[in-house]
Amino acid sequence: MSTVALFAQLKLRLLAGNLRGDLSRKLGFVFTLVMAVLLAALGFFLMSLIRLAPHDIATDIVIVVYTFFLIGWMIVPLLAFGLDDTIDPARLSLFPLSTGRLALGMFTASATGVWPAATLIVTAGALAGLATGVGGLLVGLVAVLLQFALCLVTSRLITTALSGALRTRRGRDVLAVAAIFVVLLAQLPNLLVNSDLGDPLAILRGTADAFRWAPSGLAAHAISDGGLVGLAELAVLALIVLLVGWLWIKALSRALVMPDSSTQAASVRKESGLVDRFLPDGPLAAVVTKELKYIRREPRFRVGWFSAVVVTVVLAFSLGNSIGDSSGGEVGPWLAILLTSSGALMIALQSGNAYGIDGPSIWMNVVACGSEESFRTDLAGRHLANAALATPVLLLISVAASLFSGNPGAIVPALLAGWGALGIGLGVGSVTSVTIPYTVPERLNAFSGAAPGQGGQAFASSMGALLGIMALSLPFVVPIALGWTWVCVLAPFYGLLVETLGRRLGAKIGFARLPELVAAVSRPT
Amino acid sequence: MTDAVRTQGLFKRYGPQVAVAGVDLVVPAGSFAGLVGPNGAGKTTTLSMITGLLRPDGGRAEVDGLDVWRDQVQVKARIGVLPEGLRLFERLSGRELLHYSGRLRGIPKADVLGRAEDLLQVMDLAGAADKLVVDYSTGMRKKIGLAAALLHNPSVLFLDEPFEGVDPVSANTLTEVLQRFTASGSTVIFSSHVMDLVERLCDWVSVMNGGHIVAQGPLEKVRGDRSLNDTFLALVGGQRDGGDTGLTWLGAKNLGAKDLGAGDLGSRNLPGGDLGAGDGEPK
Repeated sequence: MSTVALFAQLKLRLLAGNLRGDLSRKLGFVFTLVMAVLLAALGFFLMSLIRLAPHDIATDIVIVVYTFFLIGWMIVPLLAFGLDDTIDPARLSLFPLSTGRLALGMFTASATGVWPAATLIVTAGALAGLATGVGGLLVGLVAVLLQFALCLVTSRLITTALSGALRTRRGRDVLAVAAIFVVLLAQLPNLLVNSDLGDPLAILRGTADAFRWAPSGLAAHAISDGGLVGLAELAVLALIVLLVGWLWIKALSRALVMPDSSTQAASVRKESGLVDRFLPDGPLAAVVTKELKYIRREPRFRVGWFSAVVVTVVLAFSLGNSIGDSSGGEVGPWLAILLTSSGALMIALQSGNAYGIDGPSIWMNVVACGSEESFRTDLAGRHLANAALATPVLLLISVAASLFSGNPGAIVPALLAGWGALGIGLGVGSVTSVTIPYTVPERLNAFSGAAPGQGGQAFASSMGALLGIMALSLPFVVPIALGWTWVCVLAPFYGLLVETLGRRLGAKIGFARLPELVAAVSRPT
Repeated sequence: MTDAVRTQGLFKRYGPQVAVAGVDLVVPAGSFAGLVGPNGAGKTTTLSMITGLLRPDGGRAEVDGLDVWRDQVQVKARIGVLPEGLRLFERLSGRELLHYSGRLRGIPKADVLGRAEDLLQVMDLAGAADKLVVDYSTGMRKKIGLAAALLHNPSVLFLDEPFEGVDPVSANTLTEVLQRFTASGSTVIFSSHVMDLVERLCDWVSVMNGGHIVAQGPLEKVRGDRSLNDTFLALVGGQRDGGDTGLTWLGAKNLGAKDLGAGDLGSRNLPGGDLGAGDGEPK
């Protein structure tokens, strides 16, 4: 018992310690707390509403919800690894703890917290929604606790088994890119709804059948059954929890003595020198070369580019479907123009905080940047690298979008409009990069794109960029909406103009506040 | 002889806390200068303000007689910097990092390539030149950082804790390079709290404490006939009287059997607050 109390205390102290002295973190915590309480209450309420549905449908719903929780607990802590200091067993490896006590302690620590509590409450909501009679209530109570324990133990097993890999640079790189799949998953319901799979009840039935014999399904069914079958299911479930727990302890004791195998570094390829063939020797070529390498090697860039393309494709599908349905076939060129321009904007928006990913290493630029002109060169190099990659991507999007909407004639205007949008985005981005810079954390997780305490700046930066882009695009949006597609011919020139002006303004502001820029992007993450 | 670095009343405060309270740092040209002081004395803040990475709240800083904040082009061409923390462009290889920082300063590519190879050789990094900096060890990072700072042949080199966490072999390489550099008439200023090292390398010492310069001058003058360590402790008030009265339980003769087991772990051995405090503080 003392171990339980000790670790619960440790976790609470860690939470409190993280909040000390920093107002924005306190506000963030209060926000999390309010969110968790609201979600827990709402979840419990919705779960209890299930009682209104017929019993078999209610069971199916609980099966699906429990499975969803279980999967959520498997994935989310992995993506947010590093948010919870008690997760990493290596920190505790020097204390004289037996593996069993360590396991018990870490289990306690992971059960202590806002989100575990919210999960427990929502899980318990099934009792109100599903259990019948005193027997059902008792069986249900055990089932809820077992399901909760299963979520925790499974999540711990996965993070522990992978903690060795997660501490290496390569493992973290892979995981950062994996964060994209959360973005994709979030789009999944949208795609499903659009593609008319049919009767939602049938989908529910099918999903529930698939997970009926999964551990989470057993728990849900046990609550709904409440009799001898339920008891048998509980016994199986308890065995599974113990088994996963045992595996976790094994993984834990292995993780504690395994060496850190992080420094098996691979060499990089020699430079191709392609950039130098097109650009004169000098700082500009240096910046372009470096930026192109960074886009290829830095996981945060890969995530950005990949998600820009993916979001455009998803947008194309959902827009294409809904508009195709309503108009019955032939669509004007505006759809392709819209899609290509949004793709261009997504790509350009990554430059809305151009110095955030360089982060603390930006000092190397700053000690070499002696004039406004060299700052301008730096921005130009970044824009060139971005445009060099964006051009083929935009070509692809414009061709695909035009063919998709059955209007091959739209390829050229779409591509021209895309270039224009790219220019506008880069121009606005160079101003937001220097006026509202913020640190992009090394470890991207799916929930936050800024260092602790800079969420406000990140929000202001993207809102500012969006508003600026919208305002500056108006001269083209209006005529295109009216059907004057020919204005697209002017778009690339307009884009170049905005980019040049934005770059000049950005360099003027940026050079004047170099030290502030360094400070803003060098925040601890 | 002109001064390589001269500051007047350099001042910086963070909120209510004054980090640097009017520093008048002087370093003659051609000297190998050590900036020493206890943790929190303001060494890093001072160096950051002289190198243009941090804006001072007051005072002036000059490098080779040029104002750091007004003549940025000339000053930045003359200085080489190796800041604390050593955050480099992690996703470039060591060689690419040198190429980038050289070409960024407008040095022709052919020259950059040649100088980079020389530096990689001297720093003993030729074998790791094509590995990403993110995979480098601390010693390798310091060496590649120093190489990047030297590539444009600066006249004044600022190094913040260049020997911290560096193994003896790498440290030796670093000192050899730096001694060659100052022998040619260039200036090195580095911060450290390893007195032996400063005593061995430097001919000029500035001692900081609490945001002030408390002593400054040629090494022989500052230390007199004492060792630099004793002088330093006397200057910054590090003498402790009776500091051993509180630790009566410490030492082998007090080791009882009950302390060896993990039996009383719950009550003592795992103070949650200690772990928590370490994690909560910004680095």
